[in-house]
Amino acid sequence: MEGVSYARMPRVKIRELKDDYAKFELRDTDASIANALRRVMIAEVPTIAIDLVEIEVNSSVLNDEFIAHRLGLIPLTSERAMSMRFSRDCDACDGDGQCEFCSVEFHLRVKCMTDQTLDVSSKDLYSSDHSVVPVDFSDPSNHESSDNRGIIIVKLRRGQELRLRAIARKGIGKDHAKWSPAATVTFMYEPEIHINEDLMETLTLEEKREWVDSSPTRVFEIDPVTQQVMVVDAEAYTYDDEVLKKAEAMGKPGLVEIIARQDSFIFTVESTGAIKASQLVLNAIEILKQKLDAVRLSEDTVEADDQFGELGAHMRGG
Amino acid sequence: MEIGSHSDQSKSTFCLVDEDHTFANPVRFTLNQDPRVTFCGYSIPHPSDNRVNIRVQTTGDPAKEVLKDGCQELMHVCQHVRGTFDKSVNDFKRTKTNTEQNMDTK
Repeated sequence: MEGVSYARMPRVKIRELKDDYAKFELRDTDASIANALRRVMIAEVPTIAIDLVEIEVNSSVLNDEFIAHRLGLIPLTSERAMSMRFSRDCDACDGDGQCEFCSVEFHLRVKCMTDQTLDVSSKDLYSSDHSVVPVDFSDPSNHESSDNRGIIIVKLRRGQELRLRAIARKGIGKDHAKWSPAATVTFMYEPEIHINEDLMETLTLEEKREWVDSSPTRVFEIDPVTQQVMVVDAEAYTYDDEVLKKAEAMGKPGLVEIIARQDSFIFTVESTGAIKASQLVLNAIEILKQKLDAVRLSEDTVEADDQFGELGAHMRGG
Repeated sequence: MEIGSHSDQSKSTFCLVDEDHTFANPVRFTLNQDPRVTFCGYSIPHPSDNRVNIRVQTTGDPAKEVLKDGCQELMHVCQHVRGTFDKSVNDFKRTKTNTEQNMDTK
């Protein structure tokens, strides 16, 4: 087979890491792999979200399907999702997809008794499983917890009631965006900025200042001590060519050279709270490996078998 | 599903169902790095169909084997990224708690 691995092994360095936000560098890899990681994070990492709602009583101002839609969009803590089964694949339940292995049950019972408007929020959803609950967005510090009552589902007036039972299932973002664990995932090429010092010397301080100000994101600054133009934040560069255009307009093309390094990426991952940002990246890598495994191990048939239908095609193509 | 000829195993097209750019582009890139591959490309015949065609032509090895090796190579890369990321997270958390402890004791 192959002796030495011909692929370069990527390197990772974390810049920032919070519960729902991660910024890291991925080097020595290709854009196709970085993009695959991004696409998997958005569309194919599984989470748990409410999928079936049975409404007993609803006398609120919003109609049933409106409330069901809103319930589906509430992010639920989904650490269990990777180990859970899809409802359609579950053999423990009797086909209705509501057993304890493949789903989590929620219930909501609220009635407004006072003259004050009652806000029904995600905190009123009670789960049958402690590990799957609506994400708590409140700040750790005590000052905000009294205000932050979770995501508001509907508001009730005196006498209005809402009683329902909801089943949450595992799914992926490809099926419906409610299952996507990522708020935004972006990556940019790391810029390499070279200032032509000789050409820069021919500029007056005023011209330097003008040129530095032409950058909309303040990539450069003039050092007050040495009066030199220096790069203060290379990554703030958004690949708009404003500084290049300004240099040309001033009659000094080639004043600065900015290259996008084709093998170095800066990822920014923001999660909805369903999964921690670092866990999201790890799950994405896991899912990508599973896809590769499925194709690698599938037994290909040479003939095109369209009669086999969806099941055969799924088993064949992974 | 593999579409090729029985006599010449080194060239064939693989039609994968339920896959898209997410899978095909990295595989294409990895296969192009393989010295045994003379041609590798992918196409999506129609965006509404969930299919992707990957064409592989090699210097003699059966195309199916080369594709499987490519997938394996990519899996190694993924595993490496995972390990590196894990280590990086642990390092970051350790340096963060160290600085926090230093700040607390001051």
